Amino acid sequence: MSIDIKNLIFSYNRSTSLEKHALNDVSLSIKKGDFVLISGEVGSGKSTLIKHMNGLLKPCSGSVEVDGIPTHKKDIRSKVGMLFQFPQKQLFGKTVDEDISFGPANFGIKGNQLKKQVHEAMDLMFLDESIASVSPFDLSGGQMRLVAMAGVLASKPDYLILDEPASGLDAKNRKILFSILKKLNSKGISIIVVSHQISDVLPLVDRLFLIDSGKIVFKGSPDEYLRSTNLYLPDIPWIMKELHDRGFDVKFDIFDIDEAFYEVSSLLNPQKVDEQ
Amino acid sequence: MTGMFFSYIPGNSLLHRLDPRSKIIGIMLASILIFRAMSVYEMLAIGVVFSILFLLSSTTVKAVYSSVYPMRIILIFIFTIHLFFTEGSSILSVFGMNISYEGLLKGSTVTLRFIYLLMFASLLTSSTPSSLITVGIERLLRPFPLKVLGISSFDLAAMMSMSLYFVPLLHGSFNDLKDAQLSRGLDMKRHPFKAMYSLTVPMIRVAFRMADDLAMSMESRCYQGVHRTSIFDLRFGRMDFLCISIFGLLSAIIFFMPVLQDF
Ligand SMILES: Nc1ncnc2c1ncn2[C@@H]1O[C@H](COP(=O)(O)OP(=O)(O)O)[C@@H](O)[C@H]1O
Ligand SMILES: [Mg+2]
Repeated sequence: MSIDIKNLIFSYNRSTSLEKHALNDVSLSIKKGDFVLISGEVGSGKSTLIKHMNGLLKPCSGSVEVDGIPTHKKDIRSKVGMLFQFPQKQLFGKTVDEDISFGPANFGIKGNQLKKQVHEAMDLMFLDESIASVSPFDLSGGQMRLVAMAGVLASKPDYLILDEPASGLDAKNRKILFSILKKLNSKGISIIVVSHQISDVLPLVDRLFLIDSGKIVFKGSPDEYLRSTNLYLPDIPWIMKELHDRGFDVKFDIFDIDEAFYEVSSLLNPQKVDEQ
Repeated sequence: MTGMFFSYIPGNSLLHRLDPRSKIIGIMLASILIFRAMSVYEMLAIGVVFSILFLLSSTTVKAVYSSVYPMRIILIFIFTIHLFFTEGSSILSVFGMNISYEGLLKGSTVTLRFIYLLMFASLLTSSTPSSLITVGIERLLRPFPLKVLGISSFDLAAMMSMSLYFVPLLHGSFNDLKDAQLSRGLDMKRHPFKAMYSLTVPMIRVAFRMADDLAMSMESRCYQGVHRTSIFDLRFGRMDFLCISIFGLLSAIIFFMPVLQDF
């Protein structure tokens, strides 16, 4: 059970003067149960890549298979849930319940099973049963986002892809979001997060793919990434690694400023930190 | 990002180099011809004129096609309405409704007119950035005494440039939304009503939000609607005179074609 991409090449507006190469010979595989991060600069092709994973885009050459089924042959959208940036924009239902039911109902789920799945999805998103009959447009922005997420989860996807899910969220809500993702992942759902920001998500993931100008330039574990010598690192791990490389005894798989502070101050004054 | 729907394609063809005013006048002449055209000959002649202009531009068939294709539903609607609701000698009966020969003819003519209009418009938009189209229209309107009506050519130009500016934005938002709903299993064929509903409701919200944001940012920059100079300097050159003359002559010939045929 996996998403397998082999030698994927894709251009927008193919064979016109506006032709734009977006993906160049991308190969990767994401297993069921994985938690991965796809990162790269804005415009590097991240969104283009994930749109191939549920068949919104079809490869110009190469292949994309979900659980062994090529995406250009059969509809695999019920297996792969996709949450776009600012998902609250996709809400349309007269009630929250109607909106969340949209996905599973489209995939042929009916009656009590439908009710059950909607209920479960709302539970996962900490949404109170009482708002089920409320118009989604009467909710706060944050709650609308949760409803939109529930609308994707209600179809019980095996793979959940999120495009820049943290954009527009403050630090606290980002933490909540990532803890939800961790919980979903522990239930066996593969989580694929796309983000141009690495530090937030890297501590959570099993694997990282870096993409640059439509090419995969790194695949590996967060540890391999932090030990790499030729890749751009976020500020804190970079500083810690520089210290480590210069012979100081510090951990360098650190993203949190408080943890970094602790490490550095324990270097400067070991006893004092121990006393605290 | 947006597709090719009435979008500008950078280039250096003859059409690209013409003054936008020449092209706007040309489109106006073409529209008059298109709405007057009745006979097969006139339609053919307009087709020939289009082909010549097409060859003089660096536009691709695909760009023209992708300006017409999204309108297919409206075009089919126009055709069907004329097909069923034109009085005349019946040639076929479907679901108890009569299709007349006149209806078929009228439906085809009217639909073809719309297709031609879209095709000519795509020539203009693919060879002229929208900012220049706006400047061109503003200059053309300047001599007219619009002040009497309480508007200025500048107001009109500002409104137009804003509307044009929104087309690619809305198109992009629509594509994003479509992707989101398709990912939730939206099936346009099986549930067309629900599909429409799930796309239009969020789209209307997006459009209002954009308009609101724009109004707010104009207000916060003290937009007064007074005349401002443009950074684009338009030059009506020798080539423009030549092209407009040739195009005017061609138009006149096509315009008087029905009269000439009587001789
Ligand atoms: N619909 C589109 N039409 C044409 N070009 C596009 C379209 N969408 C994206 N692109 C281009 O493809 C490249 C990759 O875009 P994208 O996958 O959105 O990058 P990212 O998500 O990493 O920011 C960019 O250069 C972008 O301009
Ligand atoms: Mg993106």
